[in-house]
Amino acid sequence: MTELVGHDFARASLDHCLKCTICETQCPVAAVTPLFPGPKYVGPQAERFRAGLSVDASVDYCSSCGTCTLVCPQGVQIAELNSQARAAMKAKHMPPRDRLISQTTLMGAVMTPFAPLANWALGNRPIRTVVEHTFGIHRDAPMPPAQSQSFMGWWKRRPQVQPDAPRGQVVFFHGCAGGYFEVETSKCAVEVLEFLGYEVIVPEQGCCGLAMQSNGLYRSAGAAVVKLSQSLLHGDLPIISASGSCTGMLKHEAREIMGVADEAVAEAGRRIRDIMQFLRDLLEAGELPLNFAPINKRLLYHAPCQLKSQGMGMPALDVLQLIPGLEVDESGVPCCGIAGTYGLKREKYQIAQAVGKSLFDQAKTHDLVVCDTETCRWQIRKSAGVRVEHPIMAVHQGYGLSEPGALIG
Amino acid sequence: MAKAVVIGAGLAGLTAAIRLGEVGFNVTLLAAGYGGLPLSPGTVDVFGYAPKQVADPLQAASEAPPPHPYAVIGAERLRSGLEWIANSLGPEFLVGAIDRNWLLPTAAGALRPTCLAPPSMAAGQGQVDAVIGFAQLKDFPAALVAGNLGARPVILDFPARDAEAECSSVVYARAFDDPGFRERFAAAARPLLRPGERVALPAVLGSRDTHPVREVSGLLQAEVFEVATVPPSVPGLRLNAALLARARAAGVRMVNGSRAVGFSVDKDRISAVEVAAAGSPEFLRADAFVLATGGFESQGLVMDSHGVISEPLFGLPVAAPQAAAFAADFWADHPLLRAGVRVDSELRPVDADAGPVHSNLRAVGGVIGGANRIRELSGDGIAIGSAWAAAESLRRMK
Ligand SMILES: Cc1cc2nc3c(=O)[nH]c(=O)nc-3n(C[C@H](O)[C@H](O)[C@H](O)COP(=O)(O)OP(=O)(O)OC[C@H]3O[C@@H](n4cnc5c(N)ncnc54)[C@H](O)[C@@H]3O)c2cc1C
Ligand code: SF4
Ligand code: SF4
Ligand code: SF4
Repeated sequence: MTELVGHDFARASLDHCLKCTICETQCPVAAVTPLFPGPKYVGPQAERFRAGLSVDASVDYCSSCGTCTLVCPQGVQIAELNSQARAAMKAKHMPPRDRLISQTTLMGAVMTPFAPLANWALGNRPIRTVVEHTFGIHRDAPMPPAQSQSFMGWWKRRPQVQPDAPRGQVVFFHGCAGGYFEVETSKCAVEVLEFLGYEVIVPEQGCCGLAMQSNGLYRSAGAAVVKLSQSLLHGDLPIISASGSCTGMLKHEAREIMGVADEAVAEAGRRIRDIMQFLRDLLEAGELPLNFAPINKRLLYHAPCQLKSQGMGMPALDVLQLIPGLEVDESGVPCCGIAGTYGLKREKYQIAQAVGKSLFDQAKTHDLVVCDTETCRWQIRKSAGVRVEHPIMAVHQGYGLSEPGALIG
Repeated sequence: MAKAVVIGAGLAGLTAAIRLGEVGFNVTLLAAGYGGLPLSPGTVDVFGYAPKQVADPLQAASEAPPPHPYAVIGAERLRSGLEWIANSLGPEFLVGAIDRNWLLPTAAGALRPTCLAPPSMAAGQGQVDAVIGFAQLKDFPAALVAGNLGARPVILDFPARDAEAECSSVVYARAFDDPGFRERFAAAARPLLRPGERVALPAVLGSRDTHPVREVSGLLQAEVFEVATVPPSVPGLRLNAALLARARAAGVRMVNGSRAVGFSVDKDRISAVEVAAAGSPEFLRADAFVLATGGFESQGLVMDSHGVISEPLFGLPVAAPQAAAFAADFWADHPLLRAGVRVDSELRPVDADAGPVHSNLRAVGGVIGGANRIRELSGDGIAIGSAWAAAESLRRMK
């Protein structure tokens, strides 16, 4: 695999650009900074002059949120072109910071055994200032809370009851963040699946490579996604995940951005369902139990950009509205700003905060925010100072699997 | 609750989805991307040229001969649709009378007939004293506009953001959302104007609504109005956002950025459309389907390299005049722009024998043939009139 095989696919869409400017008007980054000239300019326009090289370093300010690709009426793969151009530009001199923050599994594995220490260090201003100077990770950037037990630690130690599984088996993909940091989310997802009558299989699994991909490390990301896909294929079982962005990596980003043409990845991409999408499928088939206990709360739902780009609408909204008493507002904001690792970086932190500002303002007027991807939850938690959880937690509580108030405030 | 799927989120799809939501359908709005609204001047053009300039658009529509879409929609349903949209958006967004065209200046300073217009633009009918432009906004040639309107150009060196030599209308519109920016602008412009003058500005006075226009008028002690710019068009974006908000309020579920690529049938009905979602396809099942995919500009119609024109989603029969793909004169009335599907009075696409192709499918907006929407300035009226008529038809079917 060469570094940029995905490129031909996106480049083929270049000539569909009519220069209508619609993408320019919706880009959340261009809206808040003059440093970024916008998707049409750095995407289809600059691409003509690139011939493998970069003509303008401003493409690095694209957060890859994918909003432009979603709104383009002509099907130009703008965000994908930008990601590829950035990868080519950074290939020669990758900042060590970008390599470091791409190592999501490693970070989790190192932090979990030392959770209290790690959390202390992340909350310690002098330490974070040193980190900002040496690595370029902004001192106020959101960092995940280290947990003292990983998801796998919990999974292996939990009492093995022979599950009654009338609906058969499913494979669960927890993702790095769901494995080490957002452990409660993964546990809830598994318990809801078991409650519905599935036997959950959790194979040993690595990282999908998303963070490496978004930082332009295509070779390592490609290898990671192939290895992961192989480990998730069991018979013809569906794969379920509560990690919205990693799901997107398997469904389409590996192929569309990096050009990974591996059959295991393609097959895993076809089989994988986002947990809320899976529940909505059951709902549409008339197979989802509807006996939810009421939850009297007003929630703000933020659909992460990486979920929106999967073209399935907002399954969380469709499911949450089944819970009596739950009032759900949709944020209508394209992106929370963090875009994976973008908003952690010293030079982009302020931009990411400005991108998410109207979301943070809305968050402050709600009891709780729900959002399907981990990094977005960290960003909203840190920036708005409110509780932010995965929508599966409301389902978990609605089915009486957790005490009222235990998970969602 | 009966389910409806609307495919396409231009003016036709958005209005159809809102109306269907209002009359009790559970609506999903699927769109491959945005429709034409962000490029539109934010007006509702009903009939501008037929082919002579039109004074009463409703009258002109009632006289349009078949196969013009207005001959199918009829003046009554067109009127109901236009009144409905004007009422639901309110005078903050659209003002005017359905039987009278405004004559409003364009981005080149020509006068253009349109039926309903944002209040900030409607004030531009009549005499203009001064046209303000910005040296940093190339999309609004103030000197040209002023020359054509017989007014005085006033060009300010006034960037929307610090040290930005050039930017789009949208960047100015966001700057004008800020009261501080409006005051600094007024301080710079006031000395160059005389009290009580009628002053044209590019349509950038606020990204969300036209409330800043009134405020700037007050600050300048002049009668200020907006003139559309070339795309991106801020009034079109305001209208797009307002319609999206109304769709949300009407309970419409949105699936954005995804193309419908196939469908399944059950006897004479469509049972589902297939959506090219990431990973594996999604199937949207419903009782009713509305095709609002637009014309050639949005791939609602396509022409292949052999010159064959088709409707790519449902493979509906397309009526296309016999004509070469290229005409000698760019400005001539190109016959192929009249290509499109034909519909019956229930807005059901029909085959060569004028029978409905699928009993629960309706077609609305630019995908319907029989009009040169761009030349006639009739696209918005066709979109709204057909969307209204289709929603009424489906409501009866329910
Ligand atoms: C350059 C230009 C200038 C114009 N000027 C005027 C004017 O001044 N006055 C006037 O009245 N009219 C004008 N028109 C015509 C006007 O734009 C249209 O008549 C009107 O906007 C049509 O609206 P619509 O909703 O039917 O289609 P559109 O606004 O084109 O929307 C089509 C929608 O369908 C979606 N779509 C298409 N295929 C699929 C698919 N397979 N799956 C999912 N979604 C799909 C698109 O993404 C889009 O959301 C102009 C048109 C052009 C191109
Ligand atoms: S929205 Fe698409 S067609 Fe329009 S300018 Fe952007 S890339 Fe080009
Ligand atoms: S991916 Fe997001 S930040 Fe990048 S150009 Fe597109 S809209 Fe802008
Ligand atoms: S961080 Fe979240 S909302 Fe923002 S860029 Fe991603 S997935 Fe998007």
